[in-house]
Amino acid sequence: MFSKSLLLGIVSGLLAGIAGVVYARVYHSSLGADFSKVAPAIRIIVSSLFGGILAAVGFTLLDKIGKAKGEIVFNLLFAVISFATLLAPFAVKLPLDLEAPELFPGMVIPMHFFPALAWFTLKPLFIKNR
Amino acid sequence: MNKLLYPLAAVLILTGSAFTFIAAQTWQISDGYSIAFSSDDASGIFKGFKGTVAFDEQNPAASKFDVTIDVATINTGNGLQNKHAKSDEWFDVAKYPQIRFTSQKIVKAGNGYQVMGDLEIHGVKKPATIPFSFKKTATGGAFAGTFTVNRNDFRLGKPGGDVGEQIKLDISVPVTK
Repeated sequence: MFSKSLLLGIVSGLLAGIAGVVYARVYHSSLGADFSKVAPAIRIIVSSLFGGILAAVGFTLLDKIGKAKGEIVFNLLFAVISFATLLAPFAVKLPLDLEAPELFPGMVIPMHFFPALAWFTLKPLFIKNR
Repeated sequence: MNKLLYPLAAVLILTGSAFTFIAAQTWQISDGYSIAFSSDDASGIFKGFKGTVAFDEQNPAASKFDVTIDVATINTGNGLQNKHAKSDEWFDVAKYPQIRFTSQKIVKAGNGYQVMGDLEIHGVKKPATIPFSFKKTATGGAFAGTFTVNRNDFRLGKPGGDVGEQIKLDISVPVTK
């Protein structure tokens, strides 16, 4: 079970990272706000991958502990934790040479949901429902 | 003798007054200046700095500063803090878009100088003394100064709170001729 969820976590994390990088590029070209200094492509991908692997560990644990209800609890937790992490972009203090820091949350907030979105989308391909 | 005395006196007075009113060197403010502020819980920079800088090391008394800071260019590194700083609780940018300093007197003080003048922030004008140094460079020179203001004197924010009342300002202004 863990190998399947780990694979799902890695794949969904990578996809979320790629989606994040693409979104950052689109954001930069459309609004002119360049935050590549604080959120470079590699950091976006590694963070998303970390989120995916963490989700895999959490899913496996909750599936073992909660049995049939484990997935429900996991889905709820994944969504709630994704929401909770939104506080970070609002609180972060960027280097002063970066202009328009008010545009930073607009770039990274959607990215915080990409790992969960990728996980929920790809899960039926990797783990069948009981 | 008297016929010569008066024209001679007039020439002396005119010559003397010409030297008295020699204007100090006017400097152009270069890019790369830094207007930074810091206190407990808040720090940042202002990016919009302009004005007239007339300064002569040999004749500080004839020197004059008249500079403004565009308050809307404040950057604390955090979007929410920027918005808060521009609001009517703090700088009230819509009503008071500029910080202005106009010098009244510049004197030599130790290894550096002191400029006394009027500092206007948030619509409140107060006398201020700013110590500064001036170093000549290959392309011009550089002014540097550090001083503190009490934000309560300028009705910035509410007394107390998280943000310290003493705001330290570090100013560095490269100039060219």
